[in-house]
Amino acid sequence: MRYALHAEYTKLRTLPSTGWLLLAVVALTVGVGAAAAATVSCHATGCGYDAPKLALSGVLAGQAVVALLAITAVTGEHSTGTAAVTLAAVPRRGRVLVAKAIVLAGLTGAAGTVGVLCSVLVARLLLPGNGFTAANGYPPLSLADGATLRAAAGSVLYLILIALFGLGVGTAARDAAASVGVTGGVVYVLQIAPFLVTDPDWQQALWRLSPTNAGLTIQATRNLSAYPLGPWAGLGVLAAWTTVALAIGAVLSHRRDL
Amino acid sequence: MDNATIEVSGLRKRFGPTVALDGMSFTVQPGRVTGFVGPNGAGKSTTMRVVLGLDTADAGTALVGGRPYRQLRTPLRQVGALLDANAVQPSRSARNHLLWLAHSQGIGRARVDTVLGQVGLAAVARRRAGGFSLGMRQRLGIAAALLGDPPILLLDEPVNGLDPEGVIWIRGLLRSLAAEGRAVLVSSHLMSELQDTADQLVVVGRGRVIADANVTELLAAAARGRVVVRTRAPETARTELLRAGATATVTGPDTLDVAGPSAERVVALLTAGRVPVAEVSAYQASLEEAYLTLTRDAVEFQAGQVAR
Repeated sequence: MRYALHAEYTKLRTLPSTGWLLLAVVALTVGVGAAAAATVSCHATGCGYDAPKLALSGVLAGQAVVALLAITAVTGEHSTGTAAVTLAAVPRRGRVLVAKAIVLAGLTGAAGTVGVLCSVLVARLLLPGNGFTAANGYPPLSLADGATLRAAAGSVLYLILIALFGLGVGTAARDAAASVGVTGGVVYVLQIAPFLVTDPDWQQALWRLSPTNAGLTIQATRNLSAYPLGPWAGLGVLAAWTTVALAIGAVLSHRRDL
Repeated sequence: MDNATIEVSGLRKRFGPTVALDGMSFTVQPGRVTGFVGPNGAGKSTTMRVVLGLDTADAGTALVGGRPYRQLRTPLRQVGALLDANAVQPSRSARNHLLWLAHSQGIGRARVDTVLGQVGLAAVARRRAGGFSLGMRQRLGIAAALLGDPPILLLDEPVNGLDPEGVIWIRGLLRSLAAEGRAVLVSSHLMSELQDTADQLVVVGRGRVIADANVTELLAAAARGRVVVRTRAPETARTELLRAGATATVTGPDTLDVAGPSAERVVALLTAGRVPVAEVSAYQASLEEAYLTLTRDAVEFQAGQVAR
């Protein structure tokens, strides 16, 4: 397993695209978060905004790049034929998948942590200028605050789970375009699905089903009772999606030739 | 690994309606180069993929060193394989391609530079593999196969895309690998590529083995003890030899093939008949001739070629 891990790490590290994609994860997460923090303003007490959630809103954009990184890490091997080289070197397919998962989780976790920390820092600097002041009920953003810390750490976990979801889909589909389609559909189309129906029960059900809506409750720090799911239960929905995708990928890679 | 062999036994595999392997069985012995020949689509690549555990056979077994490939913990230290020279990530450098492979087997960086030098890619090691010619990719693929210093080598069409210098190089490499006691299986769809290289030939068609024979014996059989005579007067020589009961065919302006008598007897006959002789030598059959001799009776095989 150690050898397989080392190989997968070297493999990803020596692809020029990996560095750029990780940089893009940080840039998008921080950039979108900063844009949100710079444009939203609070003029009175109880303006209702969830400041940590606002600061971390870039995660919604960053996750696209995270998924892309994970998908290309596996589908790129199939399009170039190096998948055969990988399996000749490490014939146990489960081991290859686990090694890829650990390496992707590590890289995503690192980039995600940088992105999330910078987002919080930038928002901490920008928000007071837009009325998010202690007088209006918004003390400066701080990771010393339990809910904020949970939102920040949970956002990193969220990004890791998205990466692993992309890995599972990519392993199952083997094709980049198909994987991007499936992942994009699950992540973004299911996200807006609740707003396309009028029946409140269906809205709730679809909302709970969406890994994005449910998963991002981990960022909620205010008004938690308004959400259909608690923060950790919400992240659990994404974890379930990820588990299913990885399981399908694992089973298919065992069953199929190559 | 105590025994450096590849044992393929009764492999069967279908891809939908197409029968790819139909009872493929043969053994590759250490210390020699075994040529794996047959037309495209005969099942050579599929057999190699099954041996490497990439494809699963519907029936039969494939063992390397007595064990299934998938059970090997560091397989590249036991079996080196080149299946598809184009299987490289184009944006990764040659050196990094070998580096991740080395790491997958617990092999160090130094070995990567050694094999790069061995295949003549040291100067371009840091260049992106995507810019490599097919010949350079073949060399990179061979470097990958040599990385783990394995006792067993499996190379699918390694000569493809090499320039004449590369062809001579790989022949020498294959010979020296076998001389070191390794089992070397080399596939090709061109017999001429294996001339002077293979010790053993496994000829396949339509997913099974048509012939499995020693090349020296095969060439001797194809030569059928014939003698080549070079002379200024081939017609006179022919008449003289026919009178002595030999079979003689004029094959060129100054050459004829003689079957029947030994070289000494031919010399004696022609000297007695006062025919000027420039040279008398044993007939050297080409591997192609040997191949045709082997496959002449395999009607099914010929039908297989047509079907392709």
